[in-house]
Amino acid sequence: MKMKVLSRAGFAGLFVCAATLFAACSETSSSTDTTVAVETTVSEVAYPVTAGGITLEAQPMRIVSLSPTHTEMLYAIGAGGQVVAVDEYSNFPAEAVALGTKLSGYEPNVESIAGYEPDLVVISYDPGNLVEQLSALDIAVYIGNGASSLEQAYEQIEQLGALTGHLDVAVQLTSQMQADIDAVVLASSASATAMGEPITYFYELDNTYYTVTSNSFVGQIFKLFGLENIADGVEEGNDYPQLSSEVIVSSNPTMIYLADTKCCAQTPETVSVREGWQKMDAVVNKNIVQLDDDIASRWGPRVVELVKSISDALALVAPSK
Amino acid sequence: MLRANDNFVPRAGTRVAYSTLVSFALLTIAVLVGTMIGPAGPQWWRVPIELINRLPLISVDSGVSDADWNIVMQIRMPRVVLAVLVGAMLSVAGASYQGVFRNPLVDPYLLGVAAGAGLGATLVFTLRRSATENWLIDPLPLAAFAGGLIAVFATYMIGSAFSKARSTATLVLAGIAVTSLTTAVQTFVLQRNNDVVRQVYSWILGRLSSATWGDVRLVLPYVVFSCGILLMHRRLLDVLRVGDDEATALGVNIRRVRLTVVLAATLGTAAAVAVSGLIGFVGIIVPHTVRLIVGSSYRRVLPLSILCGAIFLVLADIPSRVLADPAETPIGVVTAFFGAPFFLILLRVRKNQV
Amino acid sequence: MSTLGFCDLTISYDGDSAVSSFNNLVNSGEWLCLIGPNGAGKSSVLRAVAGLVKYSGSVAIDQNEIPATSAKWRAQNIAYVPQTPLIPEDMTVYEYVLLGRNPHIKHFASETKQDVDVIEKVMTRLDLTRFAHRMVGTLSGGERQRLVIARALAQEAPVLLLDEPTAALDIGHQQQALELVDVLRRERGLTVVSAMHDLTLAGLYADRLVLMHQGVCVASGSAQSVLRSETLAEFYGVSARVHHEPDGTVVVIPQRSTSN
Repeated sequence: MKMKVLSRAGFAGLFVCAATLFAACSETSSSTDTTVAVETTVSEVAYPVTAGGITLEAQPMRIVSLSPTHTEMLYAIGAGGQVVAVDEYSNFPAEAVALGTKLSGYEPNVESIAGYEPDLVVISYDPGNLVEQLSALDIAVYIGNGASSLEQAYEQIEQLGALTGHLDVAVQLTSQMQADIDAVVLASSASATAMGEPITYFYELDNTYYTVTSNSFVGQIFKLFGLENIADGVEEGNDYPQLSSEVIVSSNPTMIYLADTKCCAQTPETVSVREGWQKMDAVVNKNIVQLDDDIASRWGPRVVELVKSISDALALVAPSK
Repeated sequence: MLRANDNFVPRAGTRVAYSTLVSFALLTIAVLVGTMIGPAGPQWWRVPIELINRLPLISVDSGVSDADWNIVMQIRMPRVVLAVLVGAMLSVAGASYQGVFRNPLVDPYLLGVAAGAGLGATLVFTLRRSATENWLIDPLPLAAFAGGLIAVFATYMIGSAFSKARSTATLVLAGIAVTSLTTAVQTFVLQRNNDVVRQVYSWILGRLSSATWGDVRLVLPYVVFSCGILLMHRRLLDVLRVGDDEATALGVNIRRVRLTVVLAATLGTAAAVAVSGLIGFVGIIVPHTVRLIVGSSYRRVLPLSILCGAIFLVLADIPSRVLADPAETPIGVVTAFFGAPFFLILLRVRKNQV
Repeated sequence: MSTLGFCDLTISYDGDSAVSSFNNLVNSGEWLCLIGPNGAGKSSVLRAVAGLVKYSGSVAIDQNEIPATSAKWRAQNIAYVPQTPLIPEDMTVYEYVLLGRNPHIKHFASETKQDVDVIEKVMTRLDLTRFAHRMVGTLSGGERQRLVIARALAQEAPVLLLDEPTAALDIGHQQQALELVDVLRRERGLTVVSAMHDLTLAGLYADRLVLMHQGVCVASGSAQSVLRSETLAEFYGVSARVHHEPDGTVVVIPQRSTSN
């Protein structure tokens, strides 16, 4: 369990990416003077490549992904053709599902993974000795821990881009994501400032009222909009606290975001019949937003859709005066 | 008159020798089968051929690629070897505890090893997020090991504080108290750190799927040491069968024997739990089955438990990695599946006795 | 052949005195029987010698005080047969008698040929050979009594303690057991101390009786001197006649009150 996480090599890769990113962001046309010779065609990538703490000697053509988030990233940067197997929870995009593989990221069967003869395995966490076991088989492992900020998410996308030989696409993707998010937030704050007092929200992870604070990845996205999380400060040091019904009702948030629509079948209707919730502002004004569980819990390219959902919901918020 | 060794070296002696030989043979076969079967890697019938090929001075073409053989040697073999060690350890520890506490339903987790190890593991999983990712030594087995030992130590302290006699009943009660408290603390910690619940649960169910040769090296000295001490005490465990008073009158220092046996069994169990999580039922099923075959004398039950425990876990690990291919079935689930029918059979057999 | 000496033996449980200052000397080969009502302290004395309860004062074998810490030494010199021995269901007769050899087997070692010889002899002597591989749970009461005595004999200890040896036996087996102990005692020169309820049998077999009452020795001597109806009335609270047979046997006959 000695994984070299993003630290040193990661920073090196980031530096390389930052240089190209800077150049790419400033102009709409493709960059010309960069410190790394990155071509737009796939066939002439420079290997060996070091990124995300690992070094690959050749372009990986048999990638196994055990992380739904990174599956999405891989397909978004154009490496989908190099993916041979994904885990059971990788349900997006459709091409990943079409692979028909159902590996487990939580109880990995190393032999099964090795059976695909991978040259790169992508995981988001090591359930125990997985990296060690795969290393014993000389299989490279990329670990992308749960991002705690958008910057980390972009970093992981670009690292995967470097490793799979699609750095240019990756960089383009992240800059596009960044631009999209910035634009949406900007437009939204225009309407938000018209409200006056800050808008509070409750983010529901499951139907036992587990939630997130604004230190979490999702919480930070909400912070971009200036929204205030009612769970902040409730439990020091715990970013995934469980709130009681009373606390939620007495905090009376302006908006309720449901991230348990798929897992626990929660809808505005089920929320409005909860004991004591009927008089809450969010329920009365029907400011209950249904999010897709998967989109809300992953830190891949579809984060942009999450941002858009929040923005759309915000636009409908009637002032709670 | 009867000759000295005619009737008095018990007839069961030949049955024991026979059972031991059969057990050894079965163990060898089980290990071989375990090495042959898996969800990937070389075809099963090629494995023995390649094994022969690897013997010095013999060269046979088995058609197994290096990559495939690597899977067998680096992933499957450590798993099988670990199953041997853990299975043997849990069985002999269970049998020893049954001897010390004179209760056939006791398992090696009685005095709190399981709860303590679980708490240790939970704390590591909780802290790992922030602090320990770059540590040189993997803290997980260390914490589980330490937790298990501390819990049993606490049990002993509480047991002796409340009863000068330090009887077995007191120890059991103290064990229950320690287990309850530790589990409560663990639940509290988990509730506040909801994101590691899945990892902890997975660890608790027990697995051999993450076995590496490093794990084997870690556990081996403890298991060997522990089994050695326990085997040395097998005749004394037989003397304990007539109760504390009579055993004392027969010259046994019961407190010392009890302490030594519990300590050795706990040490080995804690080491096993540290690398493989909490695999249940082995410590009860195997000794009982052995008793059904060779009788209740610990001189026979202990060594045979070692062999049969190894066989049991090696075989149980096969469905564990093949059943839900390409996922793993935690081995604790497999042994639990064996557990229920086992107890039913035991009830049936006992019904025909007194 | 060993003497057993008690000097100021005092036992108390949780502050309650069970035995106070018990003094006695049992000669080699002598059979001493402790008698007395329930709670008199008879069993406590035996358990103290066997090392099962704490005591103050001293108990000595051949003037060697029994060391408090060596269970093994004690077991090599004292064989204790409890009132209700714990008979494990699933042990063979051979294995049970083998337990008696424990004091002589090295801690972690197994039994030697010599141990096996001793066991064989003892089992032959007590007619248990044909049961050697039977489970002890299948033996009858009388056979079990022989079995427990066999285990005690296998210890080859010079002192034998018997706590209520006839409690669970019928009259025939009672006689058999006591006759056997007497014969073995003479054969091997054992010093026997027993605690018994049956006064007639006690008088019949023991060389000397000690009557205990509330932890104190109140009478000591031959059966004729100790078993007197006024003594029994005082300490047992029983109304009994004492009859002396021509051959010297003392018979205690409880009397019913005549007003009926």
